[in-house]
Amino acid sequence: MLDVALASLIEDMIEKAGADGVVEFWQRVGDNLASRMGKEAYLGWTSFNVAVREGRTAFSIEGEVTPLTDMAITDVDGDVVGYLYAMRQCCYVPTLVRTRYSIGQMSAADRTVAEEYNRNVHDIAVCNFCVFHERFREEIAKNISVAGNPLACHLLATRGWSGERKISTKNLSKVNINEEHVRALLRNYECVYALVMRGARLKGDR
Amino acid sequence: MSDARIPDSNPFVEVATHLFLEDLAAKVGVAGLNNYLLSLSKNLAASMPPEEYATWAEFLGALREGHSILATFEEVRPVTERCMATLRSPFERGWREYAKRVGAFANVHREVAEYYNAKVRPTAVTSLHIVLNTFREAASLRIRVADRPVRYEPIATVWVDGTKRIPVAEKLDGVLERAGISRTKLGMLLRNHSDVWLIEPA
Repeated sequence: MLDVALASLIEDMIEKAGADGVVEFWQRVGDNLASRMGKEAYLGWTSFNVAVREGRTAFSIEGEVTPLTDMAITDVDGDVVGYLYAMRQCCYVPTLVRTRYSIGQMSAADRTVAEEYNRNVHDIAVCNFCVFHERFREEIAKNISVAGNPLACHLLATRGWSGERKISTKNLSKVNINEEHVRALLRNYECVYALVMRGARLKGDR
Repeated sequence: MSDARIPDSNPFVEVATHLFLEDLAAKVGVAGLNNYLLSLSKNLAASMPPEEYATWAEFLGALREGHSILATFEEVRPVTERCMATLRSPFERGWREYAKRVGAFANVHREVAEYYNAKVRPTAVTSLHIVLNTFREAASLRIRVADRPVRYEPIATVWVDGTKRIPVAEKLDGVLERAGISRTKLGMLLRNHSDVWLIEPA
């Protein structure tokens, strides 16, 4: 119920602080939540990916995350320094469905916040929750180390409830993943991101 | 919840919303958060379609089947014609996820409940009960049964950790009489229900 009510809170905050204020607010909430979730360390990618599958990592708070172990990211020496991860369903979709069946239509505030974020921060949001979500993942990645290396998270692609797709060319270039590969993943998944070892030198890096 | 009801939310969204409210409280204080919660609950109820029922029996059926706006977010079990019991708090999953992944619930959720208890009515254990009580009250005003408006009043609440909130003795007897249940029956209901409340023609 709180999730459905949230839209009216955001409407109210847009009136008071503007859509840019809501974006900042959501990002700060992402920082706060991540900072309260503590640190994690894994021996290597295998143990991290098992932990993701079993829902034991901080990323698991979002729901079911699939490690795409056939989509490894390698460095200049050919060593694996990351993988792609995907969610079959966006965390916010149940809220959109619940809003549809309880109220009738999602508030325009949802789109207003997403558009503000897309214009001024990163053109990847398909709903207001993406704003919080991207920052949250970026921050928790810093608190997780694999083989002693802290991670970095790059949100690559999102698919909204109505079918709208967003692909981040900026982040794809950081991990050397082909746009067509990610586009194909969006048929099955609604949110795709990469986790890579921070500071790794990827193929194509100068 | 059965398939006929709306799907459950992803608890992550609720955890994020709790953090959202905590951040808000840091800015506007406990009184300000209380006002926000009252306002968002009333807005939520106001955005839902009004309802009319020809008879009280039809209304009870809608509550039982989850068709009424009062049963949108919770599974309501009519105990008598006037007394309703909610099986599980609609906030339980979010709170459990918060406790599991984040840690102890921030104090501000109880502080704002105490503020609400002192200023509005003594029925809340956490901030979430402010939302629930205000929503039920505002939603019941959108319902007419046999052309008469409907009125809501909370009787008792048990939070997930077992904390109870029951009206003081002298007030409790009057509410229980209108609800058509005894103190013993209330105690029995509170063993395995999160909320017991009264709904009656206004």
